[in-house]
Amino acid sequence: MKVLIHSSFERTRRRRAIWDRAMVYVLSLCAIGVLFILFNILTHLFIQGITSLNPEFFTNLPKPVGEKGGGMANAIAGTFTLLGLAVCLGVPIGLGAGIYLSEYADLKFAHAVRFMSDVMNGIPSIVYGIFAYTVCVLPMKSFSALSGGFALGIMMIPMITRTSEQFVRMVPVQLREAGLALGVPKWRVIVDIVVPAALGGIMTGIMVTLARVAGETAPLLFTAFGNRYWQHSLAQPIAALPLQVFTYAISPFDDWHRQAWAGAIVLILMVFMINGWAQFYVVRHSRWLSGK
Amino acid sequence: MKKILALFVAMILGASMAFADSTLINGAGATFPYPIYSKWFDEYGKANPGVMFNYQSIGSGGGIKQITAKTVDFGASDGPMSMDQLTAAPGRIYHIPTVMGAVVVAYNLEGVSKGLKLSGDVLADIYLGKITQWNDPRITEQNAGVNLPSSSIVVVHRSDGSGTSFIFTDYLSAVSSDWKGRVGKGTSVNWPIGLGGKGNEGVAGMLKQTPGSIGYVELAYAKQNGLPYAFMKNQSGSYIEPTLASTSKAADGAVIPADFRVSIVNSPNPESYPIASFTWLLIYKQMDDHTKGAAIVNFIKWAVTDGQKYAEDLDYAPLPANVVQMIQQKLEQVKY
Repeated sequence: MKVLIHSSFERTRRRRAIWDRAMVYVLSLCAIGVLFILFNILTHLFIQGITSLNPEFFTNLPKPVGEKGGGMANAIAGTFTLLGLAVCLGVPIGLGAGIYLSEYADLKFAHAVRFMSDVMNGIPSIVYGIFAYTVCVLPMKSFSALSGGFALGIMMIPMITRTSEQFVRMVPVQLREAGLALGVPKWRVIVDIVVPAALGGIMTGIMVTLARVAGETAPLLFTAFGNRYWQHSLAQPIAALPLQVFTYAISPFDDWHRQAWAGAIVLILMVFMINGWAQFYVVRHSRWLSGK
Repeated sequence: MKKILALFVAMILGASMAFADSTLINGAGATFPYPIYSKWFDEYGKANPGVMFNYQSIGSGGGIKQITAKTVDFGASDGPMSMDQLTAAPGRIYHIPTVMGAVVVAYNLEGVSKGLKLSGDVLADIYLGKITQWNDPRITEQNAGVNLPSSSIVVVHRSDGSGTSFIFTDYLSAVSSDWKGRVGKGTSVNWPIGLGGKGNEGVAGMLKQTPGSIGYVELAYAKQNGLPYAFMKNQSGSYIEPTLASTSKAADGAVIPADFRVSIVNSPNPESYPIASFTWLLIYKQMDDHTKGAAIVNFIKWAVTDGQKYAEDLDYAPLPANVVQMIQQKLEQVKY
C-alpha cells in the first residue's frame, strides 16, 4: 500500500516535471521567435538598402523619376517637423487628461474616458487621416504640414492619456499625503510632487507613442501629402519619410526601390533612437528620484 | 523637458525658414504620366528658379477629386472627366492634353516572345471569359506558325481605380458590343473574370509569376520590365506593334473637340496602334491666385512645345502639331 502511493506520487511528479520543462522550452522558443523576426527584418533591410545609404541620401532632394541618385533630406526633416507639431498638440492634451483622470475624475467618468481612449486607440490610422482631411485640409483649401501634424497629434492623445494616467496613479499615496499634511494645496502637490515623481514613466509613454506615430503613412497620405522640395511654410505640403518610402516602393524603378529600403532603415533607426532615449531617461530619472 | 521642447521648436522653425520667396504649386493625379511630369517639373524648375511644382501621383480618380475640392492647384487624369463630374466642380475646368501613351497587352507564354497577334474582339472575349484556352481556334487562326499551348488563359486586371484600366476598357467597349453592354468603361469596372493586381507593378508581378497569364500595362512599364506584348489588330485590319510612332498615329486624323475630351482608341488611321490615349492636366479657367495661375499657364506652354522633346526618352508619344496649336489658343482664355 505504501509503495503504491509512493509510485503514483512519483509518476505525477515526473509528469509535471516533463510538462514544466516542455512549456519552458515552448515559451523560450516564442521569445527566440520574436528576436528572430526582428533580426530578419533588420538584416533584410540592411542588405537591400545599405548601398543607397550614403551622405547624398541625407543631404539631397529627390531626383525626378527614373534618374539615379538624389536623397531624402527633405523627408527626414519633414518627419521631425511633423513629430514636433504632433507633440505640441498631443502631449499637453494627453498629459492633462491623464492627470485629470488619475487625480480628479470620479470613477464613472474616468471609466468612460478610459473606455473612449481605448476605442480611439483601436481606430485604424487612415481614419485619423480622413478626419484631418475633412476638418483641416478642406477648410484650408490646401494640404499642409499643419494638417499632417494634427492627424498625428490626435492619434497620440489617447495613447498618452492612458500611459500618463497609469504612471501618475502609481505614485504612492503617502507622497501626496505628505505634501497635503504640510498644508500644500492640491494643485501644487500635483505639479511639484506627483508629476515629477511620475515623469520617468510619462516620458517613456510619450517617447513610445512618438516612435509609433513616426512610422505612420496612412494619416499623412491626404494631409501632409508629400513634397519634392523643402517646404517653406507650415501651411504647405510637406515630405515625410514613411510617405516617401511608400511612393518609392510602388514605383517601377530599381534605384527608387533601393532608396525606399534605405528610407526604411533610417526610419527604423529613428524609432530605435527614440526608444533608447526613453530608456535612458527612465534610468536617469529613477536614479534622480532615489537621490543617487 | 524644456530642452526637448526647445529642440522641437527649433526644428519646426528651421525647416520652415528655407526659401522664403518662391512659389510652390501643388498638383495631384494620374500615375501614368508621372515619369514625364516629374522630368518636366525638374527641367522647368531649373530654368525658372522662382517656381516649384510638387506633383503627387495619387491616381486619376484622386486627381479629379482633389481639383474639384480645390485642395491642389492643378489635377491630372488619364480619363476625361464626365459631364457629371464637370458640373459638380466649383468652376469651369479645362482639360489640357500633355502627351500620349499606349497601353499594351502583355503575356507570359513559354516559347512565345513579343508579337503575338490579337484582335480586339478576341481580347474582349478573353476578358469576358468566353475564350479560355490559349490554343482556341480564334487565337491560332491569327497566329499561324506560333506554337500555342493548350493551357488555360489566366486573366489579370488592375484591382485599383486606374486611368490605365479606363483606356483599356474604353478600347474593349469600342470593339465589342458585348463588352460595352455587360461591363462598359471606367477607371474601375466589374471584371467578369480574372485576378487583380494593384498598380502596374502588381499586374507585371502577377504576369511574371503566372505562366499562361495575360494582362495590360503601360508601354513604358512593359519595356522596362522586359514583358512580351501583343501586336493589336487595328480598324483597318493591320497588326500594329505598340511604338511611339504608332501611338502618335492614333491622334492623326482624329477630330479633336474644343474641350479636348476625346477618346482616340480604335483609331481609323491605318498605321495607328489601337489602345492609345491622351493624358490631361486639369486646370480651372478662372485661377484663384494670380502668381500661381501665371506660372501654371507658362509651364503648360513650355511643356507642350519645348518640353515635348523629353517625351520619347520616357516612352511617351509627343502631341501632334495641330493639338499643340489648339492648346495655345485655349490657354489664352485662362484668366488669372
